[in-house]
Amino acid sequence: MDIHDEEIKEFIEIFASLSTYNFSDYSEKSFRRRMEKIVNDNNCSLTDIIKKVKNNASFLEKIVRDITVNTTELFRDPKVWLEIQKEIIPKLKELNTINLWHAGCSSGQELYSMLMFMNENGLLEKTKTIGTDINTEILEEAAKGNYKYRFNFEYLPNFDQVLNVIPEKEKIPYSKYMDIDQSKDLIKIKPFLLNKAEFLKHDLVKDKNIFSRKFDFIICRNVLIYFNNNLQNKIFDMFWENLNEGGFLVIGLHESIMGPISAKFIKKGQCYIKKSANG
Amino acid sequence: MTNKAIVIGGSAGSFKIVMKIISLLPKKIDIPIFICLHRLRSARKGFAETLQINSSIKIIEPIDKEFIVANNIYIAPANYHMYILQNGRIGLSIEEELNHSRPSIDLTFITAAEYYKENLLGIILSGANDDGANGFKKIKEYNGTTIAQDPQECEVSVMPLSCIKNNCTDKILTIKEIIKEIQFFISFNI
Repeated sequence: MDIHDEEIKEFIEIFASLSTYNFSDYSEKSFRRRMEKIVNDNNCSLTDIIKKVKNNASFLEKIVRDITVNTTELFRDPKVWLEIQKEIIPKLKELNTINLWHAGCSSGQELYSMLMFMNENGLLEKTKTIGTDINTEILEEAAKGNYKYRFNFEYLPNFDQVLNVIPEKEKIPYSKYMDIDQSKDLIKIKPFLLNKAEFLKHDLVKDKNIFSRKFDFIICRNVLIYFNNNLQNKIFDMFWENLNEGGFLVIGLHESIMGPISAKFIKKGQCYIKKSANG
Repeated sequence: MTNKAIVIGGSAGSFKIVMKIISLLPKKIDIPIFICLHRLRSARKGFAETLQINSSIKIIEPIDKEFIVANNIYIAPANYHMYILQNGRIGLSIEEELNHSRPSIDLTFITAAEYYKENLLGIILSGANDDGANGFKKIKEYNGTTIAQDPQECEVSVMPLSCIKNNCTDKILTIKEIIKEIQFFISFNI
């Protein structure tokens, strides 16, 4: 079903007038695809969706959930984790506390991967972790840390590629961090990891730092790809503001800081390091 | 010069053909080529590098929002959809699969058609599902040109056949002929 550009424009305007959500700087093509999917799933026109949103606040929230893309994996892109090991971990070891922000954490698989990773590096105890997302329902899922086996088992080899890299060393079993029950279709993150994460609603489009702290390490992977270039640059500015000097930002494998703010970071692979004030 | 481009899609049985096409391109093509192939999710590395061996043209797995540059070949990165944006940049996403595929050939074709309009050449190669057929339809809506690889020559013919069935295929050609068409399209500046 074809949706007119005017309809999408109207949808965005209505949303901005009814709620705090502003989609005007979302990347046009992927946003259009979200709209097409919503229209198909609801089996009605976008005009119908707009009408319903006006009268029904919980339907509005449901549409926001459907707009946001919730894809996260255990140890996505092992190569990036090995870079983090090399570039970031040694510096984090020098700190007394590590403030970690996982922006756009979705259902949390990558966030828990990071906590496992921190634990293997002896850093879990001193790490304070915040996971944020625009979608409150997905944050509840993240806090539970229960995942469907059938959707996640294919990423388990990534665990080995990141944590079991030295052949002479005794293999770290999955069971150290997860209870896996294939018959129940369940992967459960162990409570000692669940207890280490705090989850908060945060909208990258409009919210600044709502955490009353700065961060040593921000992870935001495959989230900003849904925004246009201007908004991406604004958010990179916001991340920079909220990093401690020498702090780290890690983004997705096919993402890059392209605006002028890139001059205020040192780039090593997918790891960006905030330069100190005097360069 | 006209803003024009070529998009190529394929899956099973298309990798060797893409290698061949790339190796026979002129040294300078002056237009961008976008290639969207289905491949194994785990095979994230080495793809562009393998293609680069046989080509003097830069082969790139793009970064999100990177500007399109003529004379580059862009390969959809594994596990990402690749969109052509109206501002001349490339957009990536990890939304749901479409036609069981990410990257989806349809999404690349449709968005390329919206940007390049009648100045787009779309080519569909050997493959095992009907991804690309909707893309072909969109290219024709904008009066672009569409070519399907001769199904008799394909390792797997489902993909070109579904494009042909859709009545939106201008020409059905062998690889040898497709290569000639590409060379003509590149050299022909309106």
